[in-house]
Amino acid sequence: MSELVAIFLGMVLINNFILVRFLGLCPFFGVSKQLGSAISMGIAVTFVMAIASLATWLIRNYILIPLDIEYMHIVIFILVIATLVQIIELFIKKTNLGLYFSFGIYLPLITTNCSVLGITLINATQDYSLSGSIVAALGGGLGFTLVLAMMSGIREKLELADTPKSMKGLPIAFIIAALLGLAFLGFGGIV
Amino acid sequence: MPAKSALKNAFPIILLTIVVTVCVSLLTYVDSITREKISAQEDEAIKALLTEMFPEMSRYEFEDDIYTVYSDATKLGYAFLAIGKGYGGDINILVGLSDAETVKEIEIISQTETPGLGTRISEPFFTDQFAGVDINDITLSRDGGKIDAITSSTISSSAVVEAVRDTALEKVKQLEGNN
Amino acid sequence: MGKGKFAKEFAKGLILSNPVFVLALGLCPTLAISTSIDNALGMTLAVLIVLLGSNIIIAAIRKYVPNITRIPIFIVIIATLVTVVNLIFHAYLPDTYEALGIFLPLIVVNCIILGRAEAFASKHSVIHSIADALGITIGFMLALLMISFIRQVLGTGSLSVFGIDLFTLPILGEHPIAIFILPYGAFLVIGLLMGLFRRTGVMKGE
Repeated sequence: MSELVAIFLGMVLINNFILVRFLGLCPFFGVSKQLGSAISMGIAVTFVMAIASLATWLIRNYILIPLDIEYMHIVIFILVIATLVQIIELFIKKTNLGLYFSFGIYLPLITTNCSVLGITLINATQDYSLSGSIVAALGGGLGFTLVLAMMSGIREKLELADTPKSMKGLPIAFIIAALLGLAFLGFGGIV
Repeated sequence: MPAKSALKNAFPIILLTIVVTVCVSLLTYVDSITREKISAQEDEAIKALLTEMFPEMSRYEFEDDIYTVYSDATKLGYAFLAIGKGYGGDINILVGLSDAETVKEIEIISQTETPGLGTRISEPFFTDQFAGVDINDITLSRDGGKIDAITSSTISSSAVVEAVRDTALEKVKQLEGNN
Repeated sequence: MGKGKFAKEFAKGLILSNPVFVLALGLCPTLAISTSIDNALGMTLAVLIVLLGSNIIIAAIRKYVPNITRIPIFIVIIATLVTVVNLIFHAYLPDTYEALGIFLPLIVVNCIILGRAEAFASKHSVIHSIADALGITIGFMLALLMISFIRQVLGTGSLSVFGIDLFTLPILGEHPIAIFILPYGAFLVIGLLMGLFRRTGVMKGE
């Protein structure tokens, strides 16, 4: 149990996906302008990460390793993720059209989110158990959502501030990320 | 004509199947030519580490996660991997035993600790402390033992100490069980 | 006319459409890998092979690929190329393989590769796709080298490429500003460089 807690906290804070591992950056800078959409994105990504971890763990341990074709893992993992995202997209379209439109292009883009493929690869290299993998995915996703929410909150306020023209938009976002990263350094050593 | 339109409809799937088949074949081919090289690399890496620790080593045996090191017919000692839960992640340690009770030396194979602080666990001033220590005595000095922690890096230091001690005790028990 | 277009597509990738500073693509590996020049070069090599390969193949088969299966086919091709590079590096360039770590397989989802396949290679000839691949890769490499240089020099106080020590700075060598090697430094350097490029008008933002 304590191992699972360690994995979870490690993923959320100490080895935060965005600020420490540098995974999931593209949507980080693209979506994080509004708090609402940032949180929805975070939850969607966490969900995909969890299901993808489950699916890929099963495939890796029951198909890839027994058949000695572990080298196929990159191809198989990404195809699984792409399929999952497609299914989720269809599901959202059918049940909640408003949500579907608010996600826009960022929903299919979850497929190329480094966090999703990243967590499946991390689970494989660290050889986590099934529960470990899912906990890691939830932790990673939560950390991602946390930082995304923080970032969007700050950027919303920043809209009203007087940023120099050349720093507006992306450059200042990077500087904010730098400061957030600095703050997160303090989490090292909790576990 | 039904046959023609059926072919047209099936074309996307056919193309996809062709692409997948070509790709899988390519991967299988590349895997077959690289597989040996990759596992040879790992063997080389271990051999290098073991030789550094036991300079007179001529061969080694590996069973149940324990390396037994020999110089021809003389047993030089044992070695095994220990993993410490460090500040920034796993710390991989190679622990060498000169016999079933004493540590010969330890070597930090990989770590991702804080630069300038925790990373110093790889330095001789820290690792040399383990040489010659009885496996039952592997404790930090603050807990009454012989190993001094690195200032401001108690977590990294204790991670190493705990990993070495716990794994050593476990492996020795395993060895005694085998004999 | 053909030659002019080749050069134009090539040059675009360098500055106007610089993948890192302008398009903001491929950020994940850029920030993580830019801790040393060696790493930057290793990553560039991997990206070059994959991008060139995928651009060529996709441009070559672009007329035959039906719309529905377009994305799955692109993904399979790119994933295969990445796996090949992964295996080859593991076997023949083990140090680079270790240094790149998880970011080597992550090239699969690197927005640069899929983005170019989708936006360019599927619509242009093989020759022009080659030009695009080369231009984008060099633009990527320049960005990586710039960032790695700053981070390595400030963060370790010295510079060494392929194991050859080039120089060690007098004061920084003793007390390097380690923070530049850490994640914080990565964000900081890119943010400042981006701002600098926009200020001087070298590169425009979105």
